[in-house]
This record gives sequence, structure tokens and C-alpha cells, in this order.
Amino acid sequence: MTVRRVLVANRGEIALRVIRACHEEGLEAVAVHSDIDHASPHVRAADVAVELGGPDASESYLNVERLLAAARQTGADAIHPGYGFLAERADFADAVADAGLVFVGPPPAAIRAMGEKTAARRAMAAAGVPIVPGTDRPAGGPDEAAAQAQDVGLPVLLKAAAGGGGKGMRVARTLEEVRRGFEQARSEAAKAFGDGAVYLERFIERPRHVEIQILADAARTIHLGERECSVQRRHQKLIEETPSPAVDRELRRRMGATAVRAAESVGYLSAGTVEFLLAPSGEFYFLEMNTRLQVEHPITELVYGVDLVREQLRIAAGQRMTCPDRPLTPRGHAIECRITAEDPFGGFLPVTGHISYLQAPTGPGVRWDAGVESGSEVSRFYDSLLGKLIVWGEHRERAIRRMGRALDELMVVGMPTSQAFHRRVMNDPSFASGRYDIEFVERIGQQVLRAPPDERLLEAAVIAAVLAEDERRGGVVPLVERSDGPGDGPWLLAGRRESLR
Amino acid sequence: MKYGVTVGDRAFEVEVVGERLMLDGRQLEALIDAIPGTPLRRLVMNGRARTLALVREPGGWMVQCGGERWLVRVVDERTRQLEALTSQRAGGSQGSLVRAPMPGLVLRLEVEVGQPVDVGTGLVVLEAMKMENEIRATGPGIVTAVRVVAGQAVEKGVVLVEIGAHLDSQAGSD
Repeated sequence: MTVRRVLVANRGEIALRVIRACHEEGLEAVAVHSDIDHASPHVRAADVAVELGGPDASESYLNVERLLAAARQTGADAIHPGYGFLAERADFADAVADAGLVFVGPPPAAIRAMGEKTAARRAMAAAGVPIVPGTDRPAGGPDEAAAQAQDVGLPVLLKAAAGGGGKGMRVARTLEEVRRGFEQARSEAAKAFGDGAVYLERFIERPRHVEIQILADAARTIHLGERECSVQRRHQKLIEETPSPAVDRELRRRMGATAVRAAESVGYLSAGTVEFLLAPSGEFYFLEMNTRLQVEHPITELVYGVDLVREQLRIAAGQRMTCPDRPLTPRGHAIECRITAEDPFGGFLPVTGHISYLQAPTGPGVRWDAGVESGSEVSRFYDSLLGKLIVWGEHRERAIRRMGRALDELMVVGMPTSQAFHRRVMNDPSFASGRYDIEFVERIGQQVLRAPPDERLLEAAVIAAVLAEDERRGGVVPLVERSDGPGDGPWLLAGRRESLR
Repeated sequence: MKYGVTVGDRAFEVEVVGERLMLDGRQLEALIDAIPGTPLRRLVMNGRARTLALVREPGGWMVQCGGERWLVRVVDERTRQLEALTSQRAGGSQGSLVRAPMPGLVLRLEVEVGQPVDVGTGLVVLEAMKMENEIRATGPGIVTAVRVVAGQAVEKGVVLVEIGAHLDSQAGSD
């Protein structure tokens, strides 16, 4: 089959990512957008754009009818779902196929097999893949959930059966917490995935969250190593890195082989990710498989020299992956920091606002994958991810330093973002040691945020504000001479100031 | 010109006299250069250069560097003295207003008028950014008013719940 024009059924940074890959493959790209996203970078990057409707996702990015109509209208022959939204909805993949279009992703049967989390666990147990003890069917109500929790053993984790990303997820340490958390989880899951089913798992203390990237074409299934994703808050990832400080070659080989077995057991095609919990003991358990491209895919790309979206497009068109036959080994180290519209000093509560100015870092080994730019509006209708800052370095220590440098350069003006959290973490010895687990944000992260800012930096802020205020009132502004050596910099008078205004 | 500066709970006194700058009585050297077309300024202070973003807001100057942000309030000496004379007594006996920290949709009310609350008690669940956010009480008290209903969309700053030290018979729910 030939694919010539791809409709990207998504928005923000991932839509832009896919559109870029389409162009590099010589394919045309169709962007879709809600009315409030009309000025988005992904819309300008595409060859054709279709406005779907109102800002709410149900009117736009989740609206299957409108998406298929847009594909018909623009002559698209393929649809790439990105991540989130409809990416893991088997019925959407079916609808795309029924419309005679190519779905850039796995077969609907594979999405189904892994999409319902309890069915996935059952299938994995049958395939000999180790799983976390838990329930194999969703709880019907809070009382049933409490009864199940007693069987599985407290503490438990309540999870959405229909999707991931932390939505619909809650830890419960007592039966009362199970009952209360069940309602919240059900409501969140229904909103995020259109399916409120909630199941339970034993909560493993202080594990690491390590996932394996899978790529499968018609001939073979391979793995592209692991990603360490333990720096999370409320099960939403904040920082990812590869290789994982906790994974050596042998463990990578075993986890990789297990992930490949999991993918093959459901007839997987395209890119996907198998998530594991890595216990302090070194044992690992299947958590779930994400039958789509992940947010953090760039770190794998940098360390394995692969373009995963390109591979997805090739596989969708019936071609083979370009990865060589021999087993691949990671080169160097990559880290990703998710820059989100959240105030790290305000409990990470989401914020909305207008980005009056944005300066993205560049230079060697720095990659910025973002859906926002200077002038972007950040609304409450979509998730809080503004952009991903990704770096590559020859080894972990260099990558951390480079990320620090990049975070110093990044300027997002107009609203608080998670940037300060990432900058502080890059300076933190616990993170530098590599010895951390999924409680990192709770334990170290909160400490890091409570630390007072550098005193010299605070003074600089004070002085800068005073000089700005003084200038506003018509005072004399001490301007920087074109060289700042010690003892240089005579103060310049009103005339110079006037000429600058 | 003398300025009183407040950042969070810190206060500073900065004097700008012609070419001299004094920070809390310490003399220092500082030069600033604006980058045209941007909110960026390059500040060289005591020989150390930094790039900061400065944006004027109603409450002062929002200063930003490396992701750290501060709202810096700069008032001249006269204004500061006037404010000191007319400053209000610290509130608290009037009760506190719990406001929406961001725009969102009220999903669920978790308290009702007359209910006692303590630190961490869930008050209202707001949906924003596709996540549920539980707004919690920051201190002990009794709910004296619930100002929103489930299903209501709220802007940032809207009062959600009022918490008092005791139930005032005049402050009921609507």
C-alpha cells in the first residue's frame, strides 16, 4: 500500500513531531485543530489544516466522526494518532481501517489485547511474563474494590483499566482509602478514556519504573533498550533517562527479551512500550503495555540513533524497519525534562496563561520538542505539557551538566512552569547518584523545592527590579558598557537613556 | 531615591543615588542592559553577569531566571511609610476564603456548611488539565459557606468555600 498523505490526529508537540517526520519521509501532512488551537505551531507546519470544532476534546481531538471527515475532505490515506486522545482506542483503529485508511500503529486486536489492563495481565500471565499480583477484572463498585483489596493485600494501587498516564490512579493503604479512592479513580478514568473501569494491584514499595521500547515490523520484533522513568509525581512522569542507572547489560537483555515475548504474544506491529516495575531486589514485573508512541521516545532515539516516527510510518506503509539485524547497544546517555504548565512551588497545580516570550535552548546535544512558542495561549482544555527538553551526552554526568546548561538558557515568560524543579534536580546529589526510585519526587523532590533560592540570585532579582522601577519613574539607568571588566562601566547619563527609549 | 522592596516574606532597602547603589546599607556595583524586543535584561552585579526576564505586573515586577520566579514589589520610601501607618491588622478572626488556584470545573463538593475541617481536609474537587485536583483546607475551622455547585466552571481566584473559626449565623450558604 502507498501512503502519501498522513492526517495527524493530535495537537501540540507530538503533532509537530509527527508532521516533521512525515515531511522527512517525503509525505504530506494534514493537521487538525480545535478552534482555540488555530494559531498553533503544528497547524502552520502542516501542508493542510482542518478546524474540527470547539475547544473541548470531545468536539475536536476525540471526535472520530469529524476526524474521519477531515481525512476524507483532505484526501489523507493514513492517520497517525500520536499519544493520548484516541491512540489506544481499538475502536478508532477499526474505524480508520473501515474507512479504507492506514492506521499508523498496531493492529486493533493488539490494542485491544493490551488496552484493557486486566485482560492484558491475564494474557501476560499466560505468556509466562511476570506480573504484579492484582485483580484480573475491574471492580464493580467501592465495596467490591475493598473486598478485592483484602484479597490482593494492602497497600494497593487503584488503576484505570482503559489507559495510563496516571489518570485514574490512586494508592490506598486502608480499606476506607480504597472506597474513597475508587470513586475518584472511576471519575477520572471515564473522563480521560471514556471508560471508568478500575482494577487493583499490590502496591510494591520503592520500585523503579523502567520501560522497554519495542519496534515490530512484519518480519521481526526487536527492543531498543530501556527508559528509566521513576521521577514521577502522581504517576505523571517528569524526568526520564536512558540507560537506566539500575540496568546493566544482562538485565537489559532479560527485560528486553521479556518485552519482545509480550509484544509477540499479541501480534504487535509498529512502536510500543512495555512498562515494568523493577523491584529493589532486581525482580521485574509487567505493568502494562502502551500500544503507541510514548512522550519520552526522544531519549531512545538519541541513544540508539533511530527515528521512531519514521519507523512507524515505514511499517504502516508495509515496509521493513531500518534498524540493523544485529542487537543494538546504547551509545551515550540521554535525559528528558518535561516542561509543564504547573507551578512546582504551588504543589504542581496546573496553571493557564499566555506565554509572552519563549527562548528555547539549542547548541550541541540539545533537543527541544514543544508545541508552544512566544505568544502561545495555554488553556485548561488539554494536558499541561508545554514541551520536552532533551539532551544527549557522552555519559550520564555530562548529560546532567548539559541539561543544567540548557535549563539555564530556557526562558518561558508569562506563567510558572516546572522548569525550576528540573533545574534544582539537576543540581541535586541524589539525582546525580542515580540511586532513586518512584518516591523520589515525594522524598527528595519536595525537599529540593523547599530549599530557599540562591541568595546572590535573589539579590540580583531585587536589584534588577529596582533598576527597572527606577527607569520607569524616569531615573538614571546604569547601562552596561560594552565590556564588563572590574572597575569598568562608567554610569551613563540621561541622554544615553533617552536615545534607547 | 530610596526603595522598599518585598519578595515573598523577605524585605530589602535599596538606595539609588545617582551612580551609587546601596542594598541594605552595602554598596554594590550593578549595571543593566535591556535586550530589545524581549523582556530580557542582562544584569552585571559585583562582576557577575546574569540574564533575567522582567515583566511589569499589577503587584510589582515578575523577575525570572533559570525558571525561578519572584514577584518583586518595589515601592518608594514615601509610599512605604504611608502603608506602614495604615496597615490593617492581620486577618484571621474574620475567617478565610478558599479560592480556586486555577480555572477549572467544579466536579464534587466534599463538605457542607457547618462541617468542621482540619489541615488536609478535602473541600472541593476541581477538574483542570484533564486531572482531578483536590483543594484542601490549610487549617482548622468550620465551613461557613459553600459558594459553588458541582458542574460550575470557575475562574482563577473565585471563592469556593469560606472557612470560619466558628459558625456565624449570618454567613449561611445561598
